[in-house]
Amino acid sequence: MARPMGPVRLRRTNYVTLTIGAFLCLFILYFLVHDGSNVPISTSNSPNANLPPILKPATAKSKLIGDRPPVRRFNLNNVTITPDPIGNQEVVLILTPMARFYQEYWDNLMRLDYPHDLISLGFILPKNKEGNAATTSLQAQVAKTQKGPLKDRFRSVVIERQDFDPPILSQDEGERHKIENQKVRRASMSRARNSLLFTTLGAETSWVLWLDADIIETPPSLIQDLAAHDKPLIVPNCYQRYTDPETGKPAERPYDFNSWQDSPTAQEIAAKMDPDDIILEGYREMATYRALMAYMADREDERDVEVPLDGVGGTALLVKADVHRDGAMFPPFPFYNLIETEGFTKMAKRLGWSATGLPNYKVYHYNE
Amino acid sequence: MVIRATIMTLTSLLTASIFSLGLAGSTTEILMDTVRYYDLSNVQGTARGWEREERILLCVPLRDAEPHLRMMFSHLHNLTYPHHLMDLAFLVSDSKDRTLEVLIEMLEALQAHEDPKQPYGEISIIEKDFGQKVNQDVESRHGFAAQASRRKLMAQARNWLLSATLRPYHSWVYWRDVDVETAPFTIVEDLMRHNKDVIVPNVWRPLPDWLGGEQPYDLNSWQESDTALALAETLDEDAVIVEGYAEYATWRPHLAYLRDPYGDPDMEMEIDGVGGVSILAKARVFRSGVHFPAFSFERHAETEGFGKMAKRMQFSVVGLPHYTIWHLYEPSVDDIKHMEEMEQERLAKEAEEQEKAETEKKIKEHFSDPNNQWEKDKSELQNIAKQASADQKQGSKKNSKPKGEDTDSADSQEERAQRSKKAGAEDGAKVVDARKKSNPVKAES
Repeated sequence: MARPMGPVRLRRTNYVTLTIGAFLCLFILYFLVHDGSNVPISTSNSPNANLPPILKPATAKSKLIGDRPPVRRFNLNNVTITPDPIGNQEVVLILTPMARFYQEYWDNLMRLDYPHDLISLGFILPKNKEGNAATTSLQAQVAKTQKGPLKDRFRSVVIERQDFDPPILSQDEGERHKIENQKVRRASMSRARNSLLFTTLGAETSWVLWLDADIIETPPSLIQDLAAHDKPLIVPNCYQRYTDPETGKPAERPYDFNSWQDSPTAQEIAAKMDPDDIILEGYREMATYRALMAYMADREDERDVEVPLDGVGGTALLVKADVHRDGAMFPPFPFYNLIETEGFTKMAKRLGWSATGLPNYKVYHYNE
Repeated sequence: MVIRATIMTLTSLLTASIFSLGLAGSTTEILMDTVRYYDLSNVQGTARGWEREERILLCVPLRDAEPHLRMMFSHLHNLTYPHHLMDLAFLVSDSKDRTLEVLIEMLEALQAHEDPKQPYGEISIIEKDFGQKVNQDVESRHGFAAQASRRKLMAQARNWLLSATLRPYHSWVYWRDVDVETAPFTIVEDLMRHNKDVIVPNVWRPLPDWLGGEQPYDLNSWQESDTALALAETLDEDAVIVEGYAEYATWRPHLAYLRDPYGDPDMEMEIDGVGGVSILAKARVFRSGVHFPAFSFERHAETEGFGKMAKRMQFSVVGLPHYTIWHLYEPSVDDIKHMEEMEQERLAKEAEEQEKAETEKKIKEHFSDPNNQWEKDKSELQNIAKQASADQKQGSKKNSKPKGEDTDSADSQEERAQRSKKAGAEDGAKVVDARKKSNPVKAES
């Protein structure tokens, strides 16, 4: 094992190692130089001075000491909310809390014939496995659309991830429908809606359309049709298509029972209730005898029939932006024993805004 | 070996860069210029937000605030929280003065400031007129009857401002009134350090000495009391309980009255209603839907309703009784009346004194001549008397001088008699003369 003294003899040069080394060097240099911030900086030199603030570069890193952002003015006296939203170039903000991504939802959204450059989209998704999957699918569609033909591109898109965990509910049907669980679920839903609403509602927005991620079919003129009624809150009837198991023929049934007119019975129940409890529709132990819009659909041809409502559902709901600006939000706590969209209706009422329903104007919910 | 070492360093570098890549990936991703992605769990708000580059939205509602703008901008210049991390949002509503013009001017000057640390982040001015009928002057502003509708309108204005400017990248929202006169430069950090969902300092105002020097100003920060809860039960759905009025005796512990000037400024107190002069709140409070009720929420509106609603959603609402900022003193109508009375009193007194001084002067003018004359005469007479006695002395000296010369003593006797007679006559003439010119006479003598 005797070895001659002196410098360690270099073994035969291993070209493979060298190549790997060189490759690694290049790889590392790439990451050292590339700071991940070469994203396009948005240009807000549009003639429209009322550009939404969200179009500005928004990360903390992008605003450095020495930056001198301009003073920007937004005159909300000039933001119109009229029955002719297209003619007056009114911006609509479509807000969707999303747990699962349905391609049919996106396709329906793309079919809306309201000018897309007047539509801003806002999404909020939970930060769980399902939410991650939905985000990925959503981002793919958004990217495709915003790189696609100009007329399809939306004004702006904001995708948000929730900062709170959705309640973990048992998938057991009975467990899921327990009143206490419903309260927790809808409180969480309210927070998601509010978070999305108050971070995306811009100075330019005229209308807010709440559209659930499982609404897969609406008339393409949904926005114009609803806006034409010139109501602060207006909600179409939400139905579901299914195949009748007996006849095997396609049929439809009411889906959303949260749009209703109040009844003396329901008010009596509320009067006796603890302020922390909520009244829910569709529970035998709590017969409210409210008039539900779901059962008011009678004439297919009279889509414009209006009914006054005391509670609305949020599957599809058009709201004048001023209602939200005044502070009307989705209470995540029992508000007059009501929660989420029904509590929202009550709060809007307290602020002097009324709700209207269109029993014969239908939108359709996904059927699992 | 060399290669192995290189590879070793390379791998460590590689892991480092992967690590930094992971960090970069976790921050906001931007797809295209119209698409934004935000993870709201990155904007929760922490106790040391300035280190984590947390963005603050500073909201200031303004109405006819032109006289106060200069003062507000001096505060803005002095705030120590990194300016580039603060977005400014102003609501200018129903203003009849030059609030908007002056505001724009001063903001542009601020953004063009030579010190690169002075300019703020995004700056938005929201204009919206609500057609408010309620006057902003101190009396009608603080009158009991106008409170409910005034507070509801104020609430509406605040909600409009916030909903138009709150963005998904804000971690904190700081509400600040324009008429704060004195506040620590570090107020944002001071409040933030407590890491509460909603936090307010104590608000006092300085007073003129005749009113006691200082006074609690903001009575809207309080702890709920059983009396007030019972009172709320009896009130109409649309009624609004307001503090500081005899009409509603609530017996609530007020943050303002608990102040001890030497107390620990970090001491916290749980409160239920908050005042709006200076509120620091985590943005997530507003994101979850807490706002300033423009309706009667649990018999409260605006900032007090905000406190109530935040509590309803289980957020922490805290006041600092011994950390005080000072609101501008604007005299009330009564104060102004009182001050006018005091001023009149002062003027009357001054006039009286002046009159007195004048009459005195007049008297002096009228009667000082004879006095002077008297004094002069007196001094003249004294002079004469002196001279006379001096002459006498001289005479006696002359007599005594030539003691040895007896020869001419008789002559001198005669001469002396004559001389004194002459002198007497001369002196008489001299006295008359002296009235005209006393100096030459003296020289002569």
